Amino acid sequence: MKKLVALLLAVMMIAALLPIVASADEPVTITYLVTGDIPTNRTDEVLAMINEKLIEKVGAKLEIRWIEWTDWTTNYNLAIATQSGDIDLVGTATDWLDAWPNTQKGGFLPLSEEMLKEYAPLTWAAIPADHWEKCKFNGEIYLIPEDQYAQWTNHGFMYRGDWAAEAGLADGVHSWDDLGKYLAYVKENKPDVIPWDADGNGSSYSQQMSGGWQTSHTGNIYIEGMGVDLFYGESAENPYTLSTYYLDSDEFVNFAKTMKSWADAGYWRTDVLNYTGDVAAEMKEGTTAARQHHTETWTGFRTEMENAQPGSDLGFFWFGEEMGNVVTLNITHGAMAIASSSKNPEKALQVYDLLRNDPELYQLMMYGIPGEMYTLDDNGYIARPEGWDEAVMGCTFNWWWGRNDGIGLRAADRDWETIDKLYAVYNEKAVTYPYGQFIFDRTNVSMYLDNLSNVYNTYMPRIVFGMVEDPEAYVAEYRAALKAAGIDLVMEEIQRQLDAVYAK
Amino acid sequence: MEKEKVLNRSLPRVTGTQRFIRNVKQSRILLLMCLPAVIFFFVFSYMPMPGAYIAFTNFQYNKGIWGSPFVGLQNFRFLFISGQLSLLLKNTVLYNLAFIVVGNVVQLAFAIMLNEVRNRYFVKVTQSLMFLPYFISDVLVSLLVYNLLNYDYGFVSNLVRSAGGVMPKLYQNAGAWPVIIVLVNLWKGTGYGTVVYFAAITGIDTSMMEAAQIDGANGWQRIRYITLPCLKPTVVILFLFAIGGILKGNFGLFYNLVGNNSMLFGTTDIIETYVYRAMMNSFNFAQSSAVGLFQSVVGFFIVLGANALVKRIEPDMALF
Repeated sequence: MKKLVALLLAVMMIAALLPIVASADEPVTITYLVTGDIPTNRTDEVLAMINEKLIEKVGAKLEIRWIEWTDWTTNYNLAIATQSGDIDLVGTATDWLDAWPNTQKGGFLPLSEEMLKEYAPLTWAAIPADHWEKCKFNGEIYLIPEDQYAQWTNHGFMYRGDWAAEAGLADGVHSWDDLGKYLAYVKENKPDVIPWDADGNGSSYSQQMSGGWQTSHTGNIYIEGMGVDLFYGESAENPYTLSTYYLDSDEFVNFAKTMKSWADAGYWRTDVLNYTGDVAAEMKEGTTAARQHHTETWTGFRTEMENAQPGSDLGFFWFGEEMGNVVTLNITHGAMAIASSSKNPEKALQVYDLLRNDPELYQLMMYGIPGEMYTLDDNGYIARPEGWDEAVMGCTFNWWWGRNDGIGLRAADRDWETIDKLYAVYNEKAVTYPYGQFIFDRTNVSMYLDNLSNVYNTYMPRIVFGMVEDPEAYVAEYRAALKAAGIDLVMEEIQRQLDAVYAK
Repeated sequence: MEKEKVLNRSLPRVTGTQRFIRNVKQSRILLLMCLPAVIFFFVFSYMPMPGAYIAFTNFQYNKGIWGSPFVGLQNFRFLFISGQLSLLLKNTVLYNLAFIVVGNVVQLAFAIMLNEVRNRYFVKVTQSLMFLPYFISDVLVSLLVYNLLNYDYGFVSNLVRSAGGVMPKLYQNAGAWPVIIVLVNLWKGTGYGTVVYFAAITGIDTSMMEAAQIDGANGWQRIRYITLPCLKPTVVILFLFAIGGILKGNFGLFYNLVGNNSMLFGTTDIIETYVYRAMMNSFNFAQSSAVGLFQSVVGFFIVLGANALVKRIEPDMALF
């Protein structure tokens, strides 16, 4: 018996030591945390090719940990909160992922200039000093911004150009008024089509719709990362004064009234607040006429719609178009962070530096195996082989934290002529996002913010989808509830912190 | 009593440890059978318990639970200043009471009915079919309910309309939802509970039944005077177990059925859905743990109270 126990112990000790002995020359594994469903296409194959190069160049290999879209916010934050050296690179964002709250809670590693210069020299050199400034919290850099990639994620409505023309909108939809006319025409003339078959379950439309009306009718600018979407700056000329739109603006009442009239007219389902459907799929089938999402989505969806509904000429009405009120994307809409428990932050930076800046690796990751998965056409655009299906034949890395226009390629199937026309308008009108250096510290008011979050998520869905008897009275009730939940205190605190950063 | 003590002392000395070892040896099979449950509760319920301390901290990821700054009762405050607590408590408790009372009555009834059926295959098939909804996720349940009840295209709506009736807009009518939710919960849970009671009935001594039959008791009388009284301890124990969770709502069920439809919140908002709405954007572990701790502590005292009450009325049936 004793012998057996001794033997067992010996085996266990050897087993425990084995990885340490063996790891002397083994490449370090860098785990990359990313949101997205686990791909079932040829990602693993491409990853193996990337790893071959990474091992050769920096002695590290990449492993991907996916946070699938089901309950992604919770699972993403949980993965960061419960890290134990099991993640290294973390794809993050200050608007749609909680980059700053996670920084404040100690989820990310501060990156010293020396570290960045030594281990991510190309990235360090490419990002200007004022951009690094926007990635600092308490004087230290925590994020590497995706600032070399032009994209527009301002929201709006996609509509069918062919039906808009039928409706007498020859120029397309360019205002909420036009949108109303368009939806009315569809309701009247296309009996099998629900004008906008919104999937109103969940609260995702509250900010987009209400904020959309707001930026179309005022100069207000959205301040991101506040947790509750009630806080806007006054205007591009006066950005550091908080707007009181949700407390006293008549425009908000107009919005509630308009949405009530749209609901009554049947532009969406009666039970929209509990409907979970796929608007994009329905639009491709031709059973709905509008989809609410952002510009970048539209650029790809226009092609998809052209294939599914030839001649649909998918147009885009962007929120703020009436006032020319549009803001450039914050450079930390995508950013890479290093997990605070990472055992190999230096290697992680080296890997990031290569993936972001090495043309061969970058293009392999972004577009797949050249010659096999794509070829370049006369314009230098990417052309996919016949019968291409990204979900089966492509590779997916969801690299939204360091895309690089300098070495990137454009997709040949997108309608660049139309897209560039819109981009030109944006470039002309847009002001730079004014709150890039503002990191809100919620400690003093977190209780009130949580209660405001409840009030917001209780009242807004009904206002947005016009599910109210008397919009004016309901808005008044909402405003009283916001007051009761402490919005004045919160706004005072935000104003104080804004003033501290952007002292006049 | 005194005599026994004296006798014990005069016996050859058996120490406490020896007696303990002897007892363990004698009941080793029983103990072995308990072991998985003991391990389960130790690992999943007792080991994490010190972590409840997180509710009193301003939790920092890189400092861990014990290294994070202590903030006292700060995390509990938000629930109390919301002004919603009384509505939330009312809804949560009333729904749970309805689930417990209606659920148990229906489960008992089905178990007794199944027991009266003589065809074994019929019993097996019925049991399995009744059990099935228990495994259907709340997300699917909500889709089913939506597709049945939605005003524009729902199955029930179409049925009502084609029969010439007027379909009420259920998704705008808060009053209808307590009924719908209790029904859905019954549909999901009845099969499961029935099995428990059915098993308890099978455990009843058959000689009692036979004796009653010989004495001329009819079926109804056998149920009334033998089955039900024999099930009383099971009912009481299940009730005591259930009542500890009376402040805990079934988030999945409520959130999926109601979602963000605040027209229904008056009768459907429970503590869990409120906490979700308030903290969906802030991801505050400490605050949500505070709410959980509050629910557990209150539930603990309710169990103690209920148990004391049972002990007074029927001492044998109390848990401890």
